[in-house]
Amino acid sequence: MKIERLISDEQVMEAVKGGELQQASILFDRYNKRIFNFFRQLSNDTMLSEDLTQNVFLRMIKYRNTYREGKRFQSWIYQMARNVFADHYQSNKNKANYIDVEKMSYQLPEIEENEEEREQRLHRSLSRLSDEQRELLVLTRFQHLKYEEVAEMMNTTVANIKVRVHRAIGKLREFYFEMENR
Amino acid sequence: MENEKRERMLIDYIEGNLSDAERAMIENEMAQNIEVREMYDQLKEVMGLLNQTHPIKRSHSLQANFEKMLQQEITKSEKNLVKEHSPSYTKTLSGRQVYISSWVLRTAAVLVLVLIGVVIMNDLNHKREHEKEVATIKKELNDNKKLMMTLLQNQQSASQRLQGATAAYEMNNTDDEIVKALVNTMNEDTNSNVRLTALEALGKFYWQNHVRSALIKSLTTQKDPVVQMALIRMLVQMKEKEVITQLEKITRENSVIKAVKDEAHWGILKLS
Repeated sequence: MKIERLISDEQVMEAVKGGELQQASILFDRYNKRIFNFFRQLSNDTMLSEDLTQNVFLRMIKYRNTYREGKRFQSWIYQMARNVFADHYQSNKNKANYIDVEKMSYQLPEIEENEEEREQRLHRSLSRLSDEQRELLVLTRFQHLKYEEVAEMMNTTVANIKVRVHRAIGKLREFYFEMENR
Repeated sequence: MENEKRERMLIDYIEGNLSDAERAMIENEMAQNIEVREMYDQLKEVMGLLNQTHPIKRSHSLQANFEKMLQQEITKSEKNLVKEHSPSYTKTLSGRQVYISSWVLRTAAVLVLVLIGVVIMNDLNHKREHEKEVATIKKELNDNKKLMMTLLQNQQSASQRLQGATAAYEMNNTDDEIVKALVNTMNEDTNSNVRLTALEALGKFYWQNHVRSALIKSLTTQKDPVVQMALIRMLVQMKEKEVITQLEKITRENSVIKAVKDEAHWGILKLS
């Protein structure tokens, strides 16, 4: 019997929905790091990611009554995060800082890369993916969400998500090694 | 094999999702075709990097801003509650006069009254049906509660008591009697699993004041290390700052085992 299971996210959210707003801080403690990283990986902008994370938790409290009993909390909060991100970019009509990638290519080292540099190249390659492909990789690889959860969020089948993730990895490989050969 | 299909297969191969036959086939291709081997190496590198990317640290202001926002929302929600119950918000129709000048209007008024009558009758019928349904649900709940209590009190069988505690965990509502039985089970039951399940069941209703008080009180009396640790963890999750003194006491007690003391230290750290 796992001790961590003592109070599940869903139980805490039910309490928040029932008016125990203070309990929202438990969910903040459990999820703020992950949601922040989700935005950071999508936008490459730390300040913006903090603002958007704050926005997600504000929405969680404001729209607590829309949480349906029995719904997996993790899927619900990530869905909210996706909406916050989409709203932000719709209202600003600008793409993430990732657009500067091409300019950054001059920084590519000629000598052997270290791990950090390889990671940077990976992020630059990620930036060249379509928004949808990048989001899929952030959710499934960085955030470690199961295909089932992402399928539920995107209202599609697991098989479809799997094919799309595989295509995104293929494209990422292409961009990543294209940069190496520059 | 077309390139995209091969690539998808290689990804599945790296993730260990292929059958034995498929694995043998792709390994054979890799051995014979240098391009496939290269594709495999590249995918492995990219996927490896995807898996080991480090999380980025947030600034401390995120936590502070959240706490501030939460307090504002709590105040707002409390104000709304007061407003809803304030008499100035109740609507009144007093003082309004209605004149009916012709027989057409009078007939219409009669029809409206009849309609209102029908609606009220319907509503009353619905209410009665609803009351019946509520009574049935209440009876079912009561039966479930009785069954759960019987199971919990079965001194002969630990598995039945475990079933009782699990049934309590699955209930959506609780009352004083159930809480009392669960607290008693958590503190006194001879079986560790039963005690732990009773604690879990109580944890589900932790935001109710009487449950919280029962859990806090149990911290001083609980002797089972497994339950003690689970209880500490739960109280920390509940952000019960008032238990810090009790936790400090636990860390000083000679009879308490090291694992529990460690848990108490961790709890103090988290709560202070």
